[in-house]
Amino acid sequence: MSMREKDIREANMSLWRDAWRRLKARRSAAACLLVVGAYALLALYGEGVYWYYYLRDETPPYNRVNLEAQYLPPSVFRAPFRMPAGAASPEGWRMHLVRLRFGLRNLLRHPLGTDGLGRDVLQRTIQGARIAFQVGIVTSLIAIPIGLVLGLIAGYFGGRVDDVIVWLYSTFASIPGLLFILAVAMVVGRGLTGVYLGIGLTTWVGLCRLIRGEVIKHRGRPYVEAARALGFGHVRIMFRHILPNVFHIVLVTFTLRFPAAVNTEVIMSFLGIGVQGEPSWGIMISNARLRLWHGIWWELAAATVAIFGIVLAFNLLGDALRDALDPRLRTGRT
Amino acid sequence: MGLGACRMSSPTGGTDAGEMVFYGPTARIRGFDPVKAGDVASAMAISKVYEGLLQYSYLERPYRVVPLLADGMPEVSDDGLTYTFRIRKGIYFQDDPCFVETGGRGRELTAEDFVYSIKRVADVKNASTGYWAFNNRIVGLDEFREASRSPYPTDYDLPVGGLQAIDRYTLRVRLKRPYPQLLWIMAMHYAFAVPREAVEYYGSDFVNHPVGTGPYVLKSWKRNYRVEFVRNPKWTEAGRVELYPAKGEPDDVAAGLLEDAGRPVPFIDRIVQLVVSDASTSWLMFLRGRFAFSGVSRDNWDAVITESRDLTPELKRKGIVLSRTPAMDIYYTGFNMDDPVVGPNKLLRQAMTCAFNTEEWIRFHNNRITRPSGPLPPGVAGYVEKSSPYPFDLERAHRLLARAGYPGGKDPQTGRRLILTLDLGAAEAPEVRQSTELFIDFMRRLGIVIRPRYNNWPTFLERLERRQVQLYRLGWIADYPDAENFLQLFYGANSSPGPNHSNYRNPEYDRLYEQMRTMPDCPERTRLIARMVDILMEDCPWIFMSVPLEYLLRHRWLLNYKAHDFPYGMIKYYRVDVQDRIRWRAQFGRGFSPR
Repeated sequence: MSMREKDIREANMSLWRDAWRRLKARRSAAACLLVVGAYALLALYGEGVYWYYYLRDETPPYNRVNLEAQYLPPSVFRAPFRMPAGAASPEGWRMHLVRLRFGLRNLLRHPLGTDGLGRDVLQRTIQGARIAFQVGIVTSLIAIPIGLVLGLIAGYFGGRVDDVIVWLYSTFASIPGLLFILAVAMVVGRGLTGVYLGIGLTTWVGLCRLIRGEVIKHRGRPYVEAARALGFGHVRIMFRHILPNVFHIVLVTFTLRFPAAVNTEVIMSFLGIGVQGEPSWGIMISNARLRLWHGIWWELAAATVAIFGIVLAFNLLGDALRDALDPRLRTGRT
Repeated sequence: MGLGACRMSSPTGGTDAGEMVFYGPTARIRGFDPVKAGDVASAMAISKVYEGLLQYSYLERPYRVVPLLADGMPEVSDDGLTYTFRIRKGIYFQDDPCFVETGGRGRELTAEDFVYSIKRVADVKNASTGYWAFNNRIVGLDEFREASRSPYPTDYDLPVGGLQAIDRYTLRVRLKRPYPQLLWIMAMHYAFAVPREAVEYYGSDFVNHPVGTGPYVLKSWKRNYRVEFVRNPKWTEAGRVELYPAKGEPDDVAAGLLEDAGRPVPFIDRIVQLVVSDASTSWLMFLRGRFAFSGVSRDNWDAVITESRDLTPELKRKGIVLSRTPAMDIYYTGFNMDDPVVGPNKLLRQAMTCAFNTEEWIRFHNNRITRPSGPLPPGVAGYVEKSSPYPFDLERAHRLLARAGYPGGKDPQTGRRLILTLDLGAAEAPEVRQSTELFIDFMRRLGIVIRPRYNNWPTFLERLERRQVQLYRLGWIADYPDAENFLQLFYGANSSPGPNHSNYRNPEYDRLYEQMRTMPDCPERTRLIARMVDILMEDCPWIFMSVPLEYLLRHRWLLNYKAHDFPYGMIKYYRVDVQDRIRWRAQFGRGFSPR
């Protein structure tokens, strides 16, 4: 096969297929995609658990207190294969089998330990993933449409409209982020709604700016001129013609703002104005710090590692996506 | 070199070898004006310098008031409306430049000083935190308060009918209606004697220049760092003698608290207190012997107290002594009786009271609390020992809940579990959240869902005042050790925005309360209180959750120390065994250098 043939095939590929190919080719990106997928599955599982118990009108196990099992360390630190004293055990190889079965069962009981109220840390970490995904997705659903529409309008119409929108987002951008979010959350009230609106209504500026810049580039392009000449309306030109050409920015922005939103939620919950009554990574960290000096590290460790994993995976994935979708910004080789 | 070695061998450096010095921690002191102090640290500092007519008994329990500047207890008229206090002769204010007429020498205390001092509390321009104590009680004082609202400087010569100095040494207080609690109020810092000369001489700077009759005078004060008091030389000069009490509780003899009985106080010559805001720093300074006593913060709890609520052997070896007493506070979950769900349903409230697992609650709080059986913490005057008719019993709770109309917790209207909302203030503290989650779990075991609503403190209070809550969690700290102070929290006329946040209204209870509150402490009153407590325990407007235990540590060389809920001015009874402290420091307190 000649080089030319390959070039032609590449040229014929759509932007998205090309990006997918490039993404797959980068091993780290593929791994990150897998990690994100795993988190998403856990979050879905958590959602399922939540609704299962909600519909049965029962308190889910991750919220049930058991003071008998307070502050149990993760199972591997509990000498899981040591048989309790006085346990009758048969002789010979059977003994090993019994011991193995006992140990495995012990390993599976509270594998990541329990917290100060005897609740399973693993289950709460999974519920934390559920909250994190809810926050990441819902805030994106609020922030991205705002940023997208305002950016499109500003870039497409220019002039006065542009001035107004640029003034608006400059004003938003000049307010310190976390304080603004906290203020919105205080007005709406504590709880998830406050978190959604707080983060959603304040983080659209970056996307709006990028879209506006991109649209300004596109609005003078021949295909837009052609659409105009055909007499299409503004809305149709904006959304049917320009939008698909700038949509990759939305995708990249989404992957980058997702972990930022998760982080913000953790901070809000840590401060006590975030999620109420459900486990969140921020609440876990806030609870765990009480006894940390006393050597009870597992609750903090579980939440921190979970946050670290998802933030790292999303950030690497975002970089890779940007490289794959925007040829001029490529930093790595494909 | 030789000098340095000499100082090394004597860790006290000789500065307190001859005199008795007390070193201790304090929170930040805001100022020395008795009418303005609302915090413990300021009140403690003020009561070293100023004194009132009465004071709390140091050793005797239950608490009672004994004369201090008064010459004996006041004469009370038969209708309980007129109190006549005789004031001791030969009590002098400390020397101070404000006494211009006498050339800076302190003058004698008179009845007029108390008239003036109480008027200062009523003066709106002083924005006193203590007006509640006199509000609508003393004849003519409320009119004085109204008059003080004028833009001109308040006229203190305006007579108040209920506050009269009959002669130089007699004060007559006339009340609108009986108020036996007045005696407790007269022991509070709001009723301490303040000389008019000092207020007028120092003006707005008076808050930094205390001029009192007390056992100590302020020597130096660096607001956020250090405060120092020295023995008031006027006491020796005027020949004033105060004696260490001779009566105490039976245990006090064994504890060595009566060895100084009948000896003149104060023992300590100089008091040095440092403002240490960091709990671990303060703890280390205590361990090194810099401070004579220390509290036990939550953080070093496990390092200090063993599982059996005793001191760790390491600390015992160092001669550290632990004292543990229930505080006069009570923490509870209240029901809003105006709420359509929990208000009319007594069985529901009883079921929830039965579902409250005391033992787990205490375990969760590391044994730092006890469970009160009723609305009164132990130790208040009129306290009656009673066991709750609704102790923890989950099966019984389930039965009561079924009779309340929610079998198995199911709300027949929705077919799902009953959902109640619990309002809380100050949700930022993880301890509050965790204990709330434990409470939620108690109710889960009963089959009820509790939705917590975490508010900030002002919002929480506003919701309470507007009666918008269903369940709420709150505490009450005694103003004075009398059952009335707690029972008023259920008086119908005190409903929100008053302190009765449960909006509990019971005609029978109100009638008993009105009868009880004007009575002096006597067996008849205690009988009334017992009936009121019975009504409350049956009606369950609150789930009585906890009375905190006060844990305090001191070194063996601090003598005559007894835990007190109102420790204001009690430092005059403390004694430091200086020789023993020197020995102790040589043995355990390396690196100590007194300042």
